[in-house]
Amino acid sequence: MESLPPVDVLGQVVAQRAAVARRLASVRHVVAIASGKGGVGKSLLTANLAAALGTEAAKVGVLDADIHGPSAALMLGARGQRPQFGPEGARPAIGVGDVRVMSMDLFLKDDGTAVRWRHYGGLAEDSFVWRGTLEANVLREFLADTEWGELDYLLIDMPPGADRFETLLRLLPELRGAVMITTPSEASMLVVRRASVGAKQAGARLLGLVENMAETAESGRVRELADAVGIPILASVPFDPKLAQSTENGRPGVLINPETPAARAILELADRLRGMLA
Amino acid sequence: MKFRCEECQETMEFVSNDTDRASGVMAIRYSCPNCGRRISMVTNPGETQLVSSLGVTIGHETLSEGEAGPMDQIRRSLEGETGWIDDRGLPDPVWTEAAEKRLAAAPAFVQGMVRRLYTDWARRNGYPEVSPAVMSKARDALGMSEM
Repeated sequence: MESLPPVDVLGQVVAQRAAVARRLASVRHVVAIASGKGGVGKSLLTANLAAALGTEAAKVGVLDADIHGPSAALMLGARGQRPQFGPEGARPAIGVGDVRVMSMDLFLKDDGTAVRWRHYGGLAEDSFVWRGTLEANVLREFLADTEWGELDYLLIDMPPGADRFETLLRLLPELRGAVMITTPSEASMLVVRRASVGAKQAGARLLGLVENMAETAESGRVRELADAVGIPILASVPFDPKLAQSTENGRPGVLINPETPAARAILELADRLRGMLA
Repeated sequence: MKFRCEECQETMEFVSNDTDRASGVMAIRYSCPNCGRRISMVTNPGETQLVSSLGVTIGHETLSEGEAGPMDQIRRSLEGETGWIDDRGLPDPVWTEAAEKRLAAAPAFVQGMVRRLYTDWARRNGYPEVSPAVMSKARDALGMSEM
């Protein structure tokens, strides 16, 4: 046994929150892209929206909050780069369109490496509490320890599930808002409705709803969902396999084929967000 | 959290934070400033780990890994071999004019990303400058298409 200084856990937690606020003081708008449901194209939309916002000379960053399923680095062409640690923090990766990216993907050795935390020394049945705390803290480090620099927009690509929203709001009380993503499927709309209600109850400001993989005309059911939650529909983005393929190759479709209906819908979404946040 | 001596109605004072690095068991000792009664709060390894997962220093965790730095919690908590390389202190290589010209031929929206890839590769492989020859070597090593 050896003797160590006294422990001031509360003081350290307060200092952590202050560090997040200090770091984000140079970021004009922080916007979460969320859904509650997996597989709705949230990350693909985030990557394209980031690229679209960047086309007007804005500085944009993307924080990939999906710790176990990170894909932002892939979709923004930033794989192969590693975080660089300096006295001021970790330099993010630079993606296409100069989008700054921080993601767990940058910390993993190769495609075959999963996110695994070191062994928990307590009871196995308690480990979920430890893991939840740890992962919330990873999000805090991504926010506070990344050298974001001056940014006009920082988009946070939220993982599926509604619980991370409360974590984010605790860390970022000044969060400007969240964009909710759904597809026209009944399952998606049910989950997104509940996630939206939960996010509002947690104090989030929902900017609106995006219908992704939309059919040719806006779905009446999506309109019902938007009305039920009390938020506007910001965009209906049609399904476009070429945009998806291009983005998954690290070239967001809005930059490669900006004239397609899907790309145009995302570019219009970017315009709308610029106006709402101005 | 505070401890009070019930007999004296005094807040107990911190005496020492004793920890066993190997096991993760931590004992924090307090004493009553009035009657001198002593108590120890003992945490088992799991409890110690749970509190340290808040990213705070409570004794053995951070101190055993040296000075805390950016993303400290992530770097301490990830199991196995990770992809990050701590290249603090390595200078950024200088871009030659010919390399800049070659970069300028790439589409504008990828130039920042490509510059970063070549710069990182050159720094980690000990090249003081990025020249077209270094770009070619990096491209082969990284499996990139012609740029």
